[in-house]
Amino acid sequence: MCFKNLPIAFDEQGNAYLKEDVANPYEYKVVDLGVEQDKLKSLMEKNGFIRSVDYDPVTRVAGALAFHSVVDLEQRKVLSTNSMATLFRGYEIILKGRDPRDAAYISSRACGVCGGVHATTSALAIEMALGIKPPPLGIVMRNILLAIEYLYDHPLHLFLLSGPDYSEELVGATNPELLAKAEKAKARNKAVHGYDTILDIMKDLNPLKGKLYLEALSMTRVAREAYVQIGGKYPHPQSVIPGGISVTVTISTLNEVYSRLIKFFDYGQKTTGIWDDIFDFFLEEDPRYEQCGVRPATMADTGVWDRPDSYDGTFENCDKWGNDRWSTPGVLVDGEVVTTNLSELNAGLEEFVEHSYYEKWDGQTYKTDANGMPLSPNHPWNKDTIPKPGKQSWRDRYSWDTCPTWDRMPMEAGAYSRMYLTAKAQRAPASPYLENTGHSMKINVPKYNLPEAQLEWKIPKHWNAFERNRARAYCIPYSAMVAMENWQLAMQLLRNGETAVSTPYEIPKSGTQIGFGAWGAGRGFLTHHLIVESGLIKNYQIITPSTLNAAPRAPWGAPGPYEEAVLNTPILEKFNLPEEYKGIDILRAIRSFDPCMPCTTHIMAKDSEHVVTREVTTCACGIE
Amino acid sequence: MELNKKTLVGTVGYHILGNHSLPPILLPHLKRLDMPAHVKVDELNWGPVAVVQMLEAEIPSFDRVIIVCAIERSHRSIGDISVFKWLGGLPETAQIQACVGDAATGVISVENLLVIGEYFNVWNDEVYLVDVEPGPEIAGEDLTPAVQKKIPTVLALVKQLALGDLTDDLQIEPLFGDRIFQTSMEV
Repeated sequence: MCFKNLPIAFDEQGNAYLKEDVANPYEYKVVDLGVEQDKLKSLMEKNGFIRSVDYDPVTRVAGALAFHSVVDLEQRKVLSTNSMATLFRGYEIILKGRDPRDAAYISSRACGVCGGVHATTSALAIEMALGIKPPPLGIVMRNILLAIEYLYDHPLHLFLLSGPDYSEELVGATNPELLAKAEKAKARNKAVHGYDTILDIMKDLNPLKGKLYLEALSMTRVAREAYVQIGGKYPHPQSVIPGGISVTVTISTLNEVYSRLIKFFDYGQKTTGIWDDIFDFFLEEDPRYEQCGVRPATMADTGVWDRPDSYDGTFENCDKWGNDRWSTPGVLVDGEVVTTNLSELNAGLEEFVEHSYYEKWDGQTYKTDANGMPLSPNHPWNKDTIPKPGKQSWRDRYSWDTCPTWDRMPMEAGAYSRMYLTAKAQRAPASPYLENTGHSMKINVPKYNLPEAQLEWKIPKHWNAFERNRARAYCIPYSAMVAMENWQLAMQLLRNGETAVSTPYEIPKSGTQIGFGAWGAGRGFLTHHLIVESGLIKNYQIITPSTLNAAPRAPWGAPGPYEEAVLNTPILEKFNLPEEYKGIDILRAIRSFDPCMPCTTHIMAKDSEHVVTREVTTCACGIE
Repeated sequence: MELNKKTLVGTVGYHILGNHSLPPILLPHLKRLDMPAHVKVDELNWGPVAVVQMLEAEIPSFDRVIIVCAIERSHRSIGDISVFKWLGGLPETAQIQACVGDAATGVISVENLLVIGEYFNVWNDEVYLVDVEPGPEIAGEDLTPAVQKKIPTVLALVKQLALGDLTDDLQIEPLFGDRIFQTSMEV
């Protein structure tokens, strides 16, 4: 019984049904956000230390997300938060009425980093809608392509975007007391990364000049070189198609990939060692950092990396092939696994637009899925995207992002959700490289220049900004080992003469076909829901990780993940005057999610007109 | 006329953005130009960091780089063509880091490319921008007539620069890295 809030129950045979004693089963309460705003206004009038975090979302190039909060600098806490997506992307509207085969190429443009993921998700949606099963080598090569994409993405975030927040330069400017301690603190993983003290690491995290920063830049090149062997080009591959891939795979292709992949064996060990040392240092020096960006481990993930002997693309078997993935799909609620079935993950999804610039749609095309599982009128297959630009109001509508929920709960997404669910659920089939213990994931990294090693990522007690990034670091060796296992499978398939990489198919010119693609971006959960009618796309709905993470308030008032995480963040930065306040704790909290869009944050310090404006930039991925 | 300067002609700009997409629209025209072997034409849309890494690996390096772009500037009319010569300089460190952040995450930007290239010392003697005024950003696959009719002029100009055939009547404006964002943000 995975649903606690939706009116879905299961009979003794495990068949889902809509609870019969509920008058309006999908009804929900819409709270007046104005009550909260009135309280804040009253507080601000009485207390000069409480100030509104003012926003003027003017990102330099492609501003898409802004963050508003009210902070009390005397009490050092955040009182209110609002996450705003300031840009309408509209891929759902662009794709309407087009040939489904266009979707992989067009939806790929939703992101400047994870284009390949969108293309593959689109291909998976079409495979489900049309019943296409790719050949084993096509599946395996898609897995390798995805793992390599993560090997580009995670170092980029950890060292180029997030890393500077923990560098000597930034720490010196915001918490200089830590630098003196860092100078004396020995790095525990010196044998792996070579740094003697934490300060030595911090120095090489400095932006533009630090060796770790520059090394990450060069590693992104290594990953891209491997990627284009299969994808043809990066970030928008030309070879990802429904039914597999469209590039001939030879031993030479695999050798070219392998010669790059092995560099991530050592790099994975080094990266995890670096971030373990940095984060352990912060958390041990000041345990209040446990609260930076903290929220319950309530997350959703689609799972990724299909087994070639299991995946058949069908909805009917999606729970089976989903559970066979190298990373397990499902939902965690406060750290506990509530489902690993893709059908239940799908059925629990809803999208709400009460605080977004969209009109509510009418009607409900699908009351159940193909297996009879009840679907909400707010489910993506029933949703219609109707933009309705309007005035920004914290009381009413303030974002171009929708509010997706699962079982009426806002869900967090991330690379770490992939690892957390897989480790906790222990559903993934046995692997020579990966062992899921229920409380950790053990990763067996083969020898390259460094000796072979077993790394272990442990499920943390508190789910906070530091642990998000720590888990992301472990996702580097995790992804590399999945790529390695798939590389070995690919070699075996070639040896067996199984060289087919795609399955031919036709788009039916009549009837209606539906499907959804469930795959994962560098920053987690990604679904494409598709309805094909008379050979053309009738409806296309995309939920990206940042649709989940940057969500505005739910209709019933629950904050989105960014909003909740920042709300819980203490202000630990050292400053004497409000003018000196830089907002590093809030920025670390937001950045730990690896937001899919440039995010302008503005924080106003108390008793001054000093406004902190910082960009939290990661990939330029669309959220709607 | 000087000969045999290893030259790269590159286009930078988003697709399907009307006049702002002049560079990618021009790419096939540029590739068809009758150029000597030492002039290479390529798309440079695939991320400034990646482009800089490609330039770092190019041995011998390009002596001259010509970038075709379409940046909205307040003082020009749609279709106006400007030629800029990059004279180096860098914005403040935070701005460079912002450029790298944008670049590594897929944002297509000429300014980012110039700044990151300057920071990593990939520009040799000559870097030129052939910059056509696109006007306000409007989605679409087509150019407006005012820009469409300038295509032959742009192609001739690029060829002239690529061959080092600089004439006295060719007006070339300086472009400095420490002021580049103020310049392009004049809109």
